[in-house]
Amino acid sequence: MIHYLVLFAAGFVGSFHCVGMCGGFACALGRDPRGPAATALRHLICNAGRLTTYCFLGALAGALGEVICTPQGMAVPLLGGSVGIAQQVLALVAGLLMVCMGLQFFGLLRAFRRLAIGFGASTLAMSLRGLLGARGAAAALAFGVFNGFLPCPLVYAFTAEAASTAGALPGVLTMASFGLGTFPAMLMMGGVGNLLAPAWRQRGVWLAGSCILLLGLVTLGRAVLPLAAHAAHGSQWGHAG
Amino acid sequence: MTGRGDVLCSHCLLPVGLRALRRMVNGEGRAFCCHGCCIAFLVKSGRSEEWEAAWLLIRLGVGGFLSMNIMLFSLLLYAGAFTGANARMLPWIDLLLWSLATPAVVILGGPFLRETLVDAAERRLAASALIVLGVGAAYVYSVIAAIEHSTHVYFDTAAMVLMLFTVGRYLEAAGRAGAARDLEPLLAAESECATVVEGDVERRRPAREIDAGMLVRVRPGERIAVDGVIVEGCSHVDEAVITGESRHVTKGVDAAVIAGSINLDGPLLIRSTATGTATRWAQICRSVRDALIRRTPTQRIADRVVGVSVPLVLVLGALTVLYWARYLPPDRALLAGLAVLVVACPCAVGLAAPLATALGIGLLARRGCLVREPGALEALARTRLLAIDKTGTLTSGSPRVVAIHSEGVSTDEVLARAAGLERHSEHGLARAIILAAKRRGLTPILAHDVRIVPGRGIRGRAAGQAVAAGNAALVRDLGWTVAPALERRGCSLEADGYSVIYLGWNGRICAVLSLEDSPLPEARWTIRSLRNRGLDVVLLTGDLPAAAQRLAASVGIEHAHAGLCPQAKRAALDRQRQSYGVVAMVGDGLNDGPVLAQADVGIAVGCATDLARQAASIVLPPAGLSLLPWVVDVARAVRATIRTNLMWAFGYNLVALSLAALGLLQPVLAAAVMAGSSLLVVTNSLRLRRLSDRAPSPGRSEVEETTPVQDPHAFGARRVIALPMLAALVLLPGGRVAALADDRGAQIAAACAACHRVDGNDRGIPSIVGQDEQSLAGALRAFKSGGRSSQIMQVMSRSLTDEEIGVIAHYLATWSKEAKRP
Repeated sequence: MIHYLVLFAAGFVGSFHCVGMCGGFACALGRDPRGPAATALRHLICNAGRLTTYCFLGALAGALGEVICTPQGMAVPLLGGSVGIAQQVLALVAGLLMVCMGLQFFGLLRAFRRLAIGFGASTLAMSLRGLLGARGAAAALAFGVFNGFLPCPLVYAFTAEAASTAGALPGVLTMASFGLGTFPAMLMMGGVGNLLAPAWRQRGVWLAGSCILLLGLVTLGRAVLPLAAHAAHGSQWGHAG
Repeated sequence: MTGRGDVLCSHCLLPVGLRALRRMVNGEGRAFCCHGCCIAFLVKSGRSEEWEAAWLLIRLGVGGFLSMNIMLFSLLLYAGAFTGANARMLPWIDLLLWSLATPAVVILGGPFLRETLVDAAERRLAASALIVLGVGAAYVYSVIAAIEHSTHVYFDTAAMVLMLFTVGRYLEAAGRAGAARDLEPLLAAESECATVVEGDVERRRPAREIDAGMLVRVRPGERIAVDGVIVEGCSHVDEAVITGESRHVTKGVDAAVIAGSINLDGPLLIRSTATGTATRWAQICRSVRDALIRRTPTQRIADRVVGVSVPLVLVLGALTVLYWARYLPPDRALLAGLAVLVVACPCAVGLAAPLATALGIGLLARRGCLVREPGALEALARTRLLAIDKTGTLTSGSPRVVAIHSEGVSTDEVLARAAGLERHSEHGLARAIILAAKRRGLTPILAHDVRIVPGRGIRGRAAGQAVAAGNAALVRDLGWTVAPALERRGCSLEADGYSVIYLGWNGRICAVLSLEDSPLPEARWTIRSLRNRGLDVVLLTGDLPAAAQRLAASVGIEHAHAGLCPQAKRAALDRQRQSYGVVAMVGDGLNDGPVLAQADVGIAVGCATDLARQAASIVLPPAGLSLLPWVVDVARAVRATIRTNLMWAFGYNLVALSLAALGLLQPVLAAAVMAGSSLLVVTNSLRLRRLSDRAPSPGRSEVEETTPVQDPHAFGARRVIALPMLAALVLLPGGRVAALADDRGAQIAAACAACHRVDGNDRGIPSIVGQDEQSLAGALRAFKSGGRSSQIMQVMSRSLTDEEIGVIAHYLATWSKEAKRP
């Protein structure tokens, strides 16, 4: 439970980075003429669409992790024989990925950023444009679904985390916690986005970066420490033998 | 546009085929070749206030929402989240999946069902029928299973197959549109609008409605839609579409502009000189459209295969179900059959040839080379022999003075007198003489009382003496004396194929000038390049053998057939065909029309005549001889791409089909595999675009083959589009974060769309934030001073002025140049 609370917090802190892009889109979704309640509902529906996308990605990533980690049902296990080691390797990869993502928030690893963000962005941005003007709940929902697919290092980082959990359900929960964490900022974006001074936004981005970095290091630790323990264990056995 | 089959898809510019999807977009009727193109087009250019544009996306988004939820729960189901204590939730989960799947199947499957029904009404069976049948079976089975509380439901399969196919078609369509990017400016002539100025009123009108004499305003970044003369303004224009030469030409008042060229940086007012439909651009447009619509032989075979395959696949699917039903539970057998239906969708096979051909046509068109017959590319790739005409093709068609033989007078005096006399003549030989005198810096000795003797020459008086210049017949007519040595020289020169002019004054012929058509400077390089590509080159000419041999030797051709009348040329071509199979003929398109038509591939060089009456199947731009090796490269690459495409598509289908029939492929995976196969074909075809960098620019003979050519159209469109997303995170120098710097990207993209810098597409990004005049002004100031702006530039709710767009366009030009530098 605490793990998911941490992820929620990370999502919340990370969402300050969203002010830049997704926030702009959220602002553009605009107000419903029928009053504040309708506006809130519209934004809520939109965010529900976004959350669904995140959860879906989480489920996929988790299931993929599971497939990689469990030899069950496959002729040859994809990674090693031991489930524990496979999951640790996965966590290692995820942790490294998250550290890379975190570093790029500080303007480092430029090539990596291009790889992470350039892909497919144009098409999605254009699909979003097509939906901005449309009224109705369905449009807001569709908008949210597409918005969730917007290339974003934050999402990539958490998807990697979801994959490292090596299970569909924990994967979904990971992404759901993160997605819910981004809710407050995204919902308030209409008001906050314009008030936030550039300097604050910058701090927000750094904060998000630090958070991802920290989370990546924790994941790495989760991978490396048991591995080390395992190795130590193995060597003890070696001595004993 | 007569029948249904000869319309091009509004999105990917491939022929729509028999099943055109028709939609109203932005108030105009559009035809699409498939559902994917329809979505992609609406995403790209549908205005958001248009309900239909948004509606399709909403459906896609809602469909995505539903199928993702279905997949989510199904994944949890498969992962065993509802076992043990949670098992009693299973029926409810099934019910939930059912309630989610029903709208998803209706929303996503609708277009496929409609396609199938339209086909069925015309008694045809197409690929969409496979999907409808497979998904329908999975859905119906799952409904029954859910009612009977059976263990397995396959709502996820039904929804995900539809989702994957829709997304696959969309991605494929987006890729195809990328392939058509080069064709767009060429086909724009028919749909282009121009701003017509009538008194104080400016009105947008289609270019085809513009008559000569009308005033047309062209903003920077717009395409000039009519031939005309500039009345007001000054700007750089890019005429690459017409001339194939991508350099910027400065045009001021009274300068002529050609339709199809792009006005780069200044507003222009133009008086049109021809009707909108009579321009060369409009002709090119019609020609390219015709070429795209015609089907190549390979394509016909592929289409036939696709037509036959659908019923076969249906049978195979049924057999698979029947076979597996004996060993597996019925639901698993059904799944295997579904996988067969889904995976055998022959979309990629039908796409293989037209996509590569269209890409090749677009690639060539960008350098001004027009392909009028799509099959010509494949034929050119197969050809091993190139027959080349001499005059106007390998030679410039304008003679020059090669030697002057005189007796008792200086060469300079001969030239000065000849030039003084020939000034009054319009003859090609006369121009050559005047040019020769000019080159030597001679002052012509002016003649008066000049009289042109038709078919003979010219005579007059200069410095008190009678002067005459002309052929041997003129000399005989005049009865002037000729020194025997000079006469012999003249005769032998004539026998060698030179044009000979006798010049004399005061009753005596003093000199013999020999003139010859000079080979083009790039001819030798071109022939060498062609031979390096393993092509044999022969010269076919109507000239005298000696002249032909001389030219052949000078440009490096081994075999020359001279003295051929047009019929003899055709006979010679036929003889060559017997030993080479496929032969190509290169000529100037004027005199060689019949021969060009006779060849398997007729290539006309430097032809400015009416395209509609052109007999050649490939037309190179004026001074485009040096492009010939590259054209051969492109043709070969197109053929190779078609082959690999077909190989991939067939191979992919066959392997996947066998796996599916063996029950080794899940239907959802099969759908992903199918979408993958189409994408593979698209990606493989898109590799052809790399060839554009290897084109030599026309008129420059000594260019190395590998010299990359600067091309303003290759502007990093993708980069511009990615910029908004990229910039959202960029930490700008000075430690300030442009959290809204994406708007600068958006503004740039919007400016690009406005000035057609980005391949003429409307690639605008949403207006995200409100207006801020100050930041725009700041950014413009920074652009003007040549600096990079770190200003936050917000999207304006008003449209930009000409001047602002000009500044941004200029900035973009520099920026893209810098971005290109390694």
